[in-house]
Amino acid sequence: MSAPAPQAGFKARAAAAIADPTLKIAIDRTTGTAERKRAAAVAAFSEFEAARARGKAIKDHVIAHLDHYLETFERNATAAGAKVHWAASDAEACAIVVRICREADAKLVTRSKSMLGEEIGLPHALADAGIERAETDLAEHIIQLAGERPSHIVWPAMHRTREQVAELFAEGHHPPPTAFDPATMVQSARHELRTKFLSADVGISGANFLVADTGATCTVTNEGNAELTTTPPRVHIVTAGIEKLVPSTAHAFALLRLLVRSATGGELTQYTTFHCGPKRPGDADGPEEMHIVLVDNGRSRMLKDEFREMLRCIRCGACMNHCVVYRQIGGHAYGGVYPGPMGAVLTPVLAGLERSRDLPSACTMNGRCAEVCPVQIPLPTLLRAWRGRSWRERLEPSGLRYGIGLWAAVARRPRLYRFASGAGVRLLRRLGKGGWISRLPLAGGWTGSRDFPKPAGRTFMELYRAEQSGKGGPS
Amino acid sequence: MSARDRILGAIRESLGSTPRDTAAIAAEAAALLADPDAIRPELAGPSLTESFAAKAWGLGTTLDTVADMAEVPAAVSRYLAQYGLGPGLAMQQAPELTGLDWSALAPHDTVAPDEPVALGLARHGIAESGSLVIHSAPDNPILLGFLPLHHILVLERRRMLPHLEDYAALLGREDGIPRNAILITGPSGTTDIEGSYVRGAHGPGFLHVILVGDEE
Repeated sequence: MSAPAPQAGFKARAAAAIADPTLKIAIDRTTGTAERKRAAAVAAFSEFEAARARGKAIKDHVIAHLDHYLETFERNATAAGAKVHWAASDAEACAIVVRICREADAKLVTRSKSMLGEEIGLPHALADAGIERAETDLAEHIIQLAGERPSHIVWPAMHRTREQVAELFAEGHHPPPTAFDPATMVQSARHELRTKFLSADVGISGANFLVADTGATCTVTNEGNAELTTTPPRVHIVTAGIEKLVPSTAHAFALLRLLVRSATGGELTQYTTFHCGPKRPGDADGPEEMHIVLVDNGRSRMLKDEFREMLRCIRCGACMNHCVVYRQIGGHAYGGVYPGPMGAVLTPVLAGLERSRDLPSACTMNGRCAEVCPVQIPLPTLLRAWRGRSWRERLEPSGLRYGIGLWAAVARRPRLYRFASGAGVRLLRRLGKGGWISRLPLAGGWTGSRDFPKPAGRTFMELYRAEQSGKGGPS
Repeated sequence: MSARDRILGAIRESLGSTPRDTAAIAAEAAALLADPDAIRPELAGPSLTESFAAKAWGLGTTLDTVADMAEVPAAVSRYLAQYGLGPGLAMQQAPELTGLDWSALAPHDTVAPDEPVALGLARHGIAESGSLVIHSAPDNPILLGFLPLHHILVLERRRMLPHLEDYAALLGREDGIPRNAILITGPSGTTDIEGSYVRGAHGPGFLHVILVGDEE
C-alpha cells in the first residue's frame, strides 16, 4: 500500500513489482487500452507521419533558439501582467513557489497535475512550509490519499485497481462514496474537491506549452480541474520547464494534434486552455496575480550533447505504454519521477548517472518507444549513450566489468568463441525439461520470474556450416 | 549573477555563440507552418457544420439547430425539459443573450458552486475537432463553463472555423489576446480509474450546443 522505499535499488524494486500480480492487472488494463486507442487515432489521421516530422522540426527550431524564445516569452508574459521568475535548479524553483505562497498568506493551495512540479519536489516543499495542498486531478487525488508518487506521466494512479481506489475513497472522502463503481467514485471526488477549489488561496498549474509570441501558458486537461485550479484563487502560479516553448499558438496546435493522439488516442483533450496574464480590469473572475516560474534543472546542460534530442519530449507517455519493460514492472520501480523509456533517459540527467545507471540497462532495445514517439526521439540510441557513458566512467560493479571483459576476450577469438558457445548450448540442453529451463546457475535473475527457452541442439554456426557443405558452398 | 543570467548564459554556452538574427528566426518559424493541410486531418464532413456535428456527437456533445437567435430560449427550454430540470439557469450577461425573451425561464447572472445549468455564447466552433472556443471577458466568467453540471453554448453558424490554425490566425485580431482562451472539446471526463471513461469529472458532465443560423 505504501510507496516503494526510495533507498532500495532498481533491481529490488523491479523484482517486487514483477512478483505483484495485482500490479500487472492494473498496468495491463490501462496500457492496453492506451495502445489500442493510440493505434486507432493514428490510423484515422493519414497525415500523422508528416505531422510528426513537422512536430520534430518545430521542437528542434525552438531548442536551437531557446535563449531567443525565452526572452520573447518573458517580454510578452510580462506585458500581459504576469511576473516571470527563473529557477536554475529544483531547489530554487521550490523556494520561489513557497515564497509566493507565503507572500499570499496561503493556507490552502490547489494544484493541477504537473510532472515538472513532481520533478522539482514541490509537494514536499509545500508540506515542509506547512501549506496544505489539494491535488485536483483525479489520479493525483488518488495518489495523494495513498501517499504515493505518480507511476505514469499521464495516468499517475494507473498502478491502482478500482478496488484499491474504493478503499482509499471510503476512508478519505467525507462522506464516503455511496457505491464503488468508477462513475460513483468520480462523483464523490467531484464533491470532495469542490470546496477546495473555491476556498484555495493559491492555484498551481504546470504548462504543456509556453507560447512565446503571446506570453500565454497552455494547459490541457480532460477533467476541467486546471481551470478550477487557476480561476478562483487570488494567485495563480505556473511552473514550467524551459523546453516547453513554442513560437506561436499555431505551432502549439500542430504539436497538440500529436500530443493528444499519442497520449490518450483522442484528437484534443476536453479543455485546451491558454492563460495570458492575471485578471484584467472588469473581468468577471480570475486571479489577481499570475506568476510563471521557468525551470532549467539540467535542461541547459542537455543542450550540449546527444541528450539535446530529449528536450523535444512533449510528455505524452506513449513510450511507456508500448514498453515491454514498463508493462512488466510499472512506474514506481524506476524510482524517479519519470518512468519508462523517457524516464530512463531523463533520470540520469536529474539524479546523476551514478545513482541511476540500472535504468538505461533495463531496456530490450526492441525500438517500440522510438517507433511511437510523436517527435521522433531516438530513445534506444540515447539509452545506449548512457550505457556507453556508464562504462567509460567505470560505474558498473567490478563483477560485471570482469564478466564483460571475459566475454569480449572470448568473442574476439572466433575459434574459441565457437567452441565455447557449442559447449554452452549442449550444457544448457541438459538442464532443460521439455522446451524450457526453469533453473539456471548464475542466471537466477532471469529464471526467478520466467523460464529460459531451451536452445537448439547446435549453434547457428554449426547449422550454417552443415547447410553450406550440403549445398557445396555459396555460388 | 541572477538565475536568469545563469540560465541564459548556460544556454548560450551550450548552443555556441552565434549572432542572433531575429528576422531569420521568424522566417524559419513561419516556414514551419507552411502547407498546413499536409499536417492536419481532413474535415469529417462535406460542410463545416456537418464536420463539426460529426466530431461533436462522437465526443458526447449534443446539438440542436435553430434558425435565429430569437429561437434560443425555446431551444433552452426544450433541453431543460428533456432532463427534467427547472427554469433557473446561470446566464452569461452578453447583450446577444440578455436581449432575448426569457419570460418562460428564470435566468440569473451569478454562478453557484452547485449550479445545475449555465448558458453562454461560444466565440467560435472548430469543424476539425468539434471544439467550442470561449474567451474570458467582463461579461464572461470562466467558472460559468466549469461549475455547472450542464453547459449550454450558443454558437452562431457564421462563427464556425474549419481548422485550429484558422482560430490561431484570428486570435488577438478582434479584441486583443484574452486572459483565458479555452477550447472546449466535449463534456468533462476522466479515465483515471483503470482507464474506464466517466463523464463529469470536475467540469460539466453534459455539453449542449445550440447552433444558430441557416447553412450558407
